[in-house]
Amino acid sequence: MDAVEKANAERQKRWAKDQKVGEGTYAVVYRGREAVNQRKVAIKKIKVGQFKDGLDMSAIREVKYLRELHHQNIIELLDVFSSKTNLNLVLEFLDSDLEMIIKDRTLVFLPADIKSWMAMTFRGLEFCHRNFVLHRDLKPNNLLIASDGQLKIADFGLARDFADPGYKMTCQVITRWYRPPELLYGSRYYSTAVDVWSVGCIFAELMLRTPYLPGETDMDQLKTIFRALGTPTEEDWPGHTKLPDYVPVGQFPRTPLRDLFTAATADALNLLGKCLIYEPRKRISARDALHHPYFFALPYPSHPSKLPKVSTQTPSRPLEEVDGNVDMNASGPGVKAAAPNRLKRKLTSPGDELSGRPLARRLDFTQKRV
Amino acid sequence: MIAGNTSKDSAEADNSPVKKKNPLYEASTQYRNWRYSPERLEAVRTQLNAAAVAKIRNTFEADEPGSSANVAFLSASEEHLLVKLYVSKIPQLCGHFHFPEEVEATAITYLKRFYLKNTVMDWHPKNVMLTTLFLATKTTNNPISLEAYTSNIPKTSASDVLDLEFLVAQSLGFEFAVWHAHRALWGIWLDLQSLTDLPEDLRPQDIYEIALKHVRASRFTDAELIYTPSQIALTCLSIASPLLSQRWAASKTASSSISEPLSELLKDTLGAINAMVTQNGHPPDIESVREVDRRLKLCKNPEKVVGSKAYLARIAEEERLSERKRNKKAEDVRRALGEGADPFGSDLSDKEQAKRLAELDDDD
Repeated sequence: MDAVEKANAERQKRWAKDQKVGEGTYAVVYRGREAVNQRKVAIKKIKVGQFKDGLDMSAIREVKYLRELHHQNIIELLDVFSSKTNLNLVLEFLDSDLEMIIKDRTLVFLPADIKSWMAMTFRGLEFCHRNFVLHRDLKPNNLLIASDGQLKIADFGLARDFADPGYKMTCQVITRWYRPPELLYGSRYYSTAVDVWSVGCIFAELMLRTPYLPGETDMDQLKTIFRALGTPTEEDWPGHTKLPDYVPVGQFPRTPLRDLFTAATADALNLLGKCLIYEPRKRISARDALHHPYFFALPYPSHPSKLPKVSTQTPSRPLEEVDGNVDMNASGPGVKAAAPNRLKRKLTSPGDELSGRPLARRLDFTQKRV
Repeated sequence: MIAGNTSKDSAEADNSPVKKKNPLYEASTQYRNWRYSPERLEAVRTQLNAAAVAKIRNTFEADEPGSSANVAFLSASEEHLLVKLYVSKIPQLCGHFHFPEEVEATAITYLKRFYLKNTVMDWHPKNVMLTTLFLATKTTNNPISLEAYTSNIPKTSASDVLDLEFLVAQSLGFEFAVWHAHRALWGIWLDLQSLTDLPEDLRPQDIYEIALKHVRASRFTDAELIYTPSQIALTCLSIASPLLSQRWAASKTASSSISEPLSELLKDTLGAINAMVTQNGHPPDIESVREVDRRLKLCKNPEKVVGSKAYLARIAEEERLSERKRNKKAEDVRRALGEGADPFGSDLSDKEQAKRLAELDDDD
């Protein structure tokens, strides 16, 4: 055996795969353990042999960025090894996500809890942005929750480095409900502000306990946004009518956030408003958000260990979800049928630069209990 | 270091409200796993070469005793020469495909890193080069289809590229992110544009272009395995214009606590990189490489030559091992199901057990 293969075999031995907890067309997730200390891990096996162009882009992106980014609020990639023609990612074990918590009606959120989740999200995001990485798919079920309550940003299958100014990027990113208006208008030159908009939507969702801007189509998404926040004027957002896919979608008046978020503090609404500013250049940065008075005002953020957790009678969803390679639209046995409401709730993440490549990306494990 | 000093330093660190942040670069896999001293680099290559020769010699001997006596194996420096030749092919191919500089630089880095873990006597750099370039298009977010890639390279099939992709990714430790000197130079260039009071006849744009040529030349050397991208970039600028590099360095230290001028502080480093770039920053002499390549045909690892006796023996051995594994797994499942089990079904825990076994990964 070659030295490289030997090293790989040794890595493989460090991790024990236990039962399978989910399977999609392109990837399988196992619960596993670290052999020496029985630490729980998730092992995501990507079936590489299936791709005619070799290692697939979302797997490459995920490995590339998680190899570099080590932060308390970003999921940790513990190891990578190959077995036959499969790529195995060993990830830290996380038992729930923010979407499950939001939807668990038995839980009551205190303002301090929401503040804590927001602080952890912004910390993780600021770290991504400081490392010149755009996440491009932030949403509640990509924010995973560890057993100690720490929130971790996961799923870097759509992430990329910032492009140089003048270098085009695809606008087909970010799950629709969390997608900012500049992308819906087809902007090919964008910035970290796209992720901040998503965090704004998540912030609102934490307060409302229901998705804030649930558009049914891309066009309807714009309408939904404008209905909530008012149609932007040229003054609000200079130049937006010149964007490639600009279409007028009707005039809606701006209603104060206060009308919907009746219980929120002024600080909270101020920060929310700054995340949802139309003009991307004026939208708050993750760094500035962390310095926003909201985080310094009472009540202070809850300690992660004190945050609400999904109730124990609900068997915890195993592991991080398989991303990247799961065809949501396939009706075959590969994808487990989800409960109708859940399926509706889960939007397929949009495709990437490789247009035409089947890159639907979600697997739902909720129906598969072991 | 004096003990008193240490405790004072740590006390200061504890009291300071803002902890000193490490530079981003120092968190990178490049900084942590792909930096060598010149001596270490030499040692890695020598050891790798010696191990490869010993192993291949054994294979020859196993096939036919005495057959390795007259084989002239490649030395570490000869291996390196061959790799360097294929490094020089990457810019040519990238020009043909109009790939961005990021792709070119990344593929070159991958190729160099690959041969710090593998020997050319196992894997010929021609195919490895094609694979690293294809992989680099994907890792830098400039993907093209394999079909478009191979159809534009003569005598290349899809399997020439894909067969090695896994091995390349493994050899790189799945560490795909690379920090490049040309990006560092770009940063310096942006800084230069805000420098004031430059002499009239100094043309920063031209100097930048010349410095970039030196950065490209540095890719033929080991500089990136030893020095940081910014050190290489600054050296290349200083070769193009010592004055401009000094002015830039001065502007960087003006606001910091570093008392010594940066150029003084970095003198030895810049000198060493300068020597590397100016002396070795070019493709190798084609005639000497041809000689190496000719000898490689005689000393390459027979286990890697498809169809050879040693190759077939290796495949058979691998097949035997995986067969044994499969049998063991099947046996485990059978045992779990229980022989002579109750025709009305075994108890639940057995069923659970069997189910769990069935869910085990067939790769293990």
